[in-house]
Amino acid sequence: MNPVLPQEAVEFAGTARRAFESLGGVDVARRAEADPDSREDVAKLLADLGVDELDPLADPEQAAAAAALCEAAGRVALPYPVGGVVLRSAAGLPVAAVPAAPVRVDHGDLFDMWLACGPAGETMPARAVGAPLGTRLGPFVTDLEPVGGAAEDVLDPASGQALLAWWLTLSAWTILGGLDRAVELATAHAQDRIQFGQPLTAFQTVRFQLADAAIAVAGLRELALFTLWRLHAAPDHAWPDVVALRSHALDVARPVLRATQQLHGASGLCDEVDICVLVRHLQPALRLPAGAEDTARELAAAIATDGFDGLFPHGATAGDRTSA
Amino acid sequence: MDFDLGEEAALLRGRLRALIDANMPPGFLGAFTDDPSDLATTQEFCALLAREGLLTVAWPTEYGGQGGSVWAQTVVREEMWAHHEPRGAQYMGLNWVGPAIMAFGDDEQKRRHLPPIAEGSVIWCQGFSEPDAGSDLAALSTRATEDGDGWRLRGQKIWTSYAGMAQWCVLAARVGPGERHEGITMFLVPMDAPGITVVPIESMLGPHHLNEVFLDDVPVGPDGLLGEVGGGWSVIRRALAHERVGIARYARCERLLSLMAGELRATAGRLPDHLAVQWARALTQVRVARLLAYRAVLAQEAGGPPDAAASAARIAVTRCDQLVAELLFQVLAERSLEAGPSAPLAGAIEDHWRYAQAATVASGTLEVQQMIVAKDLLGRSR
Ligand SMILES: Cc1cc2nc3c(=O)[nH]c(=O)nc-3n(C[C@H](O)[C@H](O)[C@H](O)COP(=O)(O)OP(=O)(O)OC[C@H]3O[C@@H](n4cnc5c(N)ncnc54)[C@H](O)[C@@H]3O)c2cc1C
Repeated sequence: MNPVLPQEAVEFAGTARRAFESLGGVDVARRAEADPDSREDVAKLLADLGVDELDPLADPEQAAAAAALCEAAGRVALPYPVGGVVLRSAAGLPVAAVPAAPVRVDHGDLFDMWLACGPAGETMPARAVGAPLGTRLGPFVTDLEPVGGAAEDVLDPASGQALLAWWLTLSAWTILGGLDRAVELATAHAQDRIQFGQPLTAFQTVRFQLADAAIAVAGLRELALFTLWRLHAAPDHAWPDVVALRSHALDVARPVLRATQQLHGASGLCDEVDICVLVRHLQPALRLPAGAEDTARELAAAIATDGFDGLFPHGATAGDRTSA
Repeated sequence: MDFDLGEEAALLRGRLRALIDANMPPGFLGAFTDDPSDLATTQEFCALLAREGLLTVAWPTEYGGQGGSVWAQTVVREEMWAHHEPRGAQYMGLNWVGPAIMAFGDDEQKRRHLPPIAEGSVIWCQGFSEPDAGSDLAALSTRATEDGDGWRLRGQKIWTSYAGMAQWCVLAARVGPGERHEGITMFLVPMDAPGITVVPIESMLGPHHLNEVFLDDVPVGPDGLLGEVGGGWSVIRRALAHERVGIARYARCERLLSLMAGELRATAGRLPDHLAVQWARALTQVRVARLLAYRAVLAQEAGGPPDAAASAARIAVTRCDQLVAELLFQVLAERSLEAGPSAPLAGAIEDHWRYAQAATVASGTLEVQQMIVAKDLLGRSR
């Protein structure tokens, strides 16, 4: 039992964090909204970090580095599909977990071609079509159009399912980074903001709100670490674990973002304040390829067929004394 | 016991819906979208309501209103908010600025300010909040100093809705040495007065909603003082109580749920069970919020202190706003982030989700409402 990321991954994440800070932290997302081409700077910086050589499927160390990188990206709402790029296909296409229809992914416009993973793990090469939505909650969400053929990128179903599992896991790490940062921002704001002659943190209800949010994020972090471990330790049985992580990330995101934005008062709704940008730019990750409710339903189905790791059997083998 | 709002209310509801149907462009989402024609649309609609005698349903007849029952007023609030407030920024003038001038203004102020509000030809904004005075409004520091027979205003307001489009502002400033609630004084200030600078704030709510208002030695005549020097706090309390029952958010929630259900039926898309169950719960929450709002209306009509009932209603109503917003986003799933005319329900759900995030902050935060309810509870147990 050693539930911590390997030291190299921690150091790599530190380097990534400093690099992202050098782009101005959350300003990098603001800049991208004003000038979408500025995402090229992010691409360059990721290349400098050696992201092209990272392969999370290869071994637990690289998986940890990839996860920590995605977390660092989430902290600044990095306007780049880091998880998808880290998981690129054999032919070098970035990977996108997509809903059945419309087939769409955040930052889809950055690449001409993607390897899209559908809800059942089916893979299809897909071309980016049209401009991003350009909306406040999905500035870079772009539609993809599956194209036939392209044999070199059509993987067998097993590896499609694996890519989907990894994509969902890395995306949960990005969400974790965003939520962790949201709690830090709310804590700092509540310490600085004086009302009724005292900092907001003098009010017990504010402390409780911060504590609840922090505990929720701490729990998500444990689950994210556990799932990362399961993906290499029990790759054939990890699907319910992955869906549980995704489901929990979405369930935690809702109250944590709400509370941390609320604690900012009206300023939390302003683009000039980081929490607002985090809330807006996290939305695509929370809605695509599926939202909290549909994901929870998927989790129930996954547990029913594949069980759920724990101290006792669950799902198909529940109550079976011999199979634990 | 009877929960029917009565025939007068039903007729009024029908009339309002017919007018909205016939006159508002389809897909109208309020006066703060990226569509610059929205302001003109709301102004024309206000003028129309005025001609139809429907703009001042709530006002007493002596001020040219219809003296409508509280339920008629409730119907107006419900239908307006349900349909994205086709009166735009003007609802504030009608809901509380006019009534505040009736209660605290002198005859000249009434003559001057009430008719334009009743005709739907003027936009008022509310200059209360300041950078250091949000929940703690009594900490406001904008100063009014006497200058000849008038005043000079210095300071800064923030979060002022519609300041960029308003012609007038009801502004709270401090006079004399009094601290906290003492010394707070209310002024009626023309927004084109020298020394006023309005700076829009970019927010997730859309353009020109929130603004900063800088006041650099703004001259205000003697006729700009509303009520007594130092009497501003009672105006503020009255305004906020009005605002708290004022916004019938539950009505928009219910309309969006109904429209979305129609859309699903039309596309033969049946809601999966897990969402249908939440939908049913949401409809019940919406009903509870509406009933609590009615309770607040009754409390206000009975003349008692409306604070606790209004705050209770507001807590239920704003939470309902966020609950329904999130549920509808789960239903729209991968299409939830689209906005504008081509989005589901012409963008109404996406717009609702963004506004719902502000519901628990605007006109007093959820936590401040909780404090008011708790204070009332403690008072009653003595
Ligand atoms: C959409 C919108 C429109 C608005 N329009 C106007 C307008 O037209 N005119 C105007 O004057 N103002 C307007 N406001 C401002 C509004 O009234 C304030 O935002 C509100 O009163 C809260 O103040 P604040 O934003 O400074 O938050 P703060 O007071 O700084 O509060 C931050 C957080 O701390 C919490 N908090 C504060 N004190 C306590 C305490 N004692 N105990 C526990 N928790 C506490 C709050 O609940 C909140 O969660 C508007 C706001 C919004 C969002």
